[in-house]
Amino acid sequence: MATVDLLFAALFNAAVLFLVTAGLQLIFGVQRIVNLTAGSLYALGAYFGASVFEWFSAQGGSPVLLLPVLILSGLLAGQVGFIVERVLRTVYGRDEAFQLLMTFTFVLMFQDVLRYVWGAQPRLLGDLPSVYGTLVVGEFTFPVYNLLVMASALVVAGLLYWLIERTSLGHVVRATAENGRMAEALGANTRRINMLVFVLGSMLGTVGGALVIPTTAASLEMPIALIVEAFAVVVIGGLGSIRGAFLGAIIVGVLRALSLTYFPELEVMSIYLVVIVVLVARPYGLFGKAEA
Amino acid sequence: MDPKSGIDPKSGIDRRGVLKGMAGLAAGSAVGAFPMPALAQNTPLKVGIIAPRAGTAAYIGANGLRAVEWSTEKINASGGIAGRKVELVVEEETNAKETLERARRLVLQEKVDCIQGGYSTGVTLPMAPTLEDMQVLTIFWDGTTQDGVKETMPSPKYVFKSADNECEAVMASLIALKHLKGQFKRIAAISPDYTYGRNVWTAFKALNKKFGIDAEVVSEQWSSFSQLDFTANVAALKAAKPDLIYCVLGNADLPIFMRAATSAGLTDTARMVLVQAGHQHGQLKKPFTPVGTLLCYNTMYFARPNPSPAQKEFVEYYMDKYKDYPHWESDRAFFAMNVYKAGVEKAMAAKGGSWPKPEEIAQAIEGIKVESFGGPAGMRKDHIAEEMFYGGFATHDNPYDVCTLKDTYSYDASVLQKPPGADFWGWLETANFPV
Repeated sequence: MATVDLLFAALFNAAVLFLVTAGLQLIFGVQRIVNLTAGSLYALGAYFGASVFEWFSAQGGSPVLLLPVLILSGLLAGQVGFIVERVLRTVYGRDEAFQLLMTFTFVLMFQDVLRYVWGAQPRLLGDLPSVYGTLVVGEFTFPVYNLLVMASALVVAGLLYWLIERTSLGHVVRATAENGRMAEALGANTRRINMLVFVLGSMLGTVGGALVIPTTAASLEMPIALIVEAFAVVVIGGLGSIRGAFLGAIIVGVLRALSLTYFPELEVMSIYLVVIVVLVARPYGLFGKAEA
Repeated sequence: MDPKSGIDPKSGIDRRGVLKGMAGLAAGSAVGAFPMPALAQNTPLKVGIIAPRAGTAAYIGANGLRAVEWSTEKINASGGIAGRKVELVVEEETNAKETLERARRLVLQEKVDCIQGGYSTGVTLPMAPTLEDMQVLTIFWDGTTQDGVKETMPSPKYVFKSADNECEAVMASLIALKHLKGQFKRIAAISPDYTYGRNVWTAFKALNKKFGIDAEVVSEQWSSFSQLDFTANVAALKAAKPDLIYCVLGNADLPIFMRAATSAGLTDTARMVLVQAGHQHGQLKKPFTPVGTLLCYNTMYFARPNPSPAQKEFVEYYMDKYKDYPHWESDRAFFAMNVYKAGVEKAMAAKGGSWPKPEEIAQAIEGIKVESFGGPAGMRKDHIAEEMFYGGFATHDNPYDVCTLKDTYSYDASVLQKPPGADFWGWLETANFPV
């Protein structure tokens, strides 16, 4: 019984982590930018999702539509990626440190924007997850909302795989990731690809934030809390790899659940011990590519 | 000021005029025709307020700020404190270093007569010795722990501390021991990983032992201070199969934890003891706060039967204006302002109507009794507040969207906190508790 409960908690945590880190990986894989704003986009999605759903409810919308409304609000909030990318574009040709600093600047600015728009107090969405009820299987009780979030993450993983591996747009994206100049020489509009990838990555983060809001609270601490785990996922899975994000998120989710059960004080340490092991034994992560 | 003429270009007052005025004032004062304190009585009484306005503690700070503003309006409407209107100067409480700088600004720049507020022990403990050195009359709303008091401020002269944080936890333990004895054999805890959380959990275990309850500790969950996802903690608690969970969460984390615990079925198998329920009771909605949950409301319970007139009026005002239920930090802020008022007036009466010095006000506050929102309250001679604490078991039988208490149990702080000079752990072992 304990194992099933722990696994369920771990997979829920992993599902949210995957959504955010998939965006992080996608952007790094194509644009070679370590996007520190991933945590801020996650928080933006949470705040925006909460506000949109409150507005939706005030208009008489049914609580049963919680999930689709939150997904749509996350997709909408992700459009902020257009603005961020437009500014980041000015440092594409420069040293990676400039890009990192630029995304860090956005983290600080987002923090103030969130505080200005939504205030400093954490925002909760009441008891909305209960509208979907619980699934009781024998002696186990699973909140259906959490199951839906996990299913959403799986659908996103499948869609991302299909988009990148099976569509002509995906071929161009992969070509841009492999060799941007060559892709451009062959007629690919890499500027447009970069923008599309960045906005798509941003939307993954904001959808992740919007989906998690019914089970937590939107707060100004969200970006930092998320980024601590997200970077562990990225290092373990391999920078730039979507498959790595998937496996890394599961590993971090399970590690977190296990450490909270058996060594609660060592939650962060247990995750970062594995990070160190991966960095030493396989510096490019489980699915990352070694630099040529 | 122009160095040649000695005239301030803004005010147009010259040095000679100022000197003449000062000489005149001194002469007038000497003959009693124009006593110096009257000067003070013509200016507003400035009270510096320090409260958290951001982060997970913002909700608590807002409760205090709203109450102190309400109290000030009431006091000013009835003539102020000893004839002087009260003017509030609010500063934000963040970390210890920044907050101390803001407190210095209040003293040196704003020249406040008194500082009130302070929520976090991590801020009030390091701030208190500096304010004591600066001889600033300070009345904390909160942030008093047993260990901290013992270590940093053995006998303050200007600083007054709140009732010990541990009071509500001792009360939670006493209610649980009295009403749930025999109903739990496996206990677990979840708390932010800080001194208070660890102290009160240790106190609960010590009281179990003292009263002969041999409960097995099956899980201890220590969360980070701003943690807002408890899915894994709930799974770990479920796995441990406790019959009673001693929960010390008290910020935005508490309703999130309760929501996760309820949806995972944890509250079906374990009785919840919410030590700091009063911190977030407006967020503890009925669907995820089961009937029978032990709720502790600290020094103010908004739905207390037969409330004091001040509480009744304030609760109605608060619920009407903010569409929320006020909690204990409102009481603490009201208490601090009224203790200060009573202290000033007592000291002034003792001086025959002239304005007292800060140390004279401080002396007057020692042992003073006032009526707070939560009922009779006072300040001990050792500068620690004594107030009433409230708790009981949750019922859904009320017109609100949150729980209230089926029966309200009240405890005087004199029962719940160690006497002056005593060691907390030694006192726990020897005290005669009403169980």
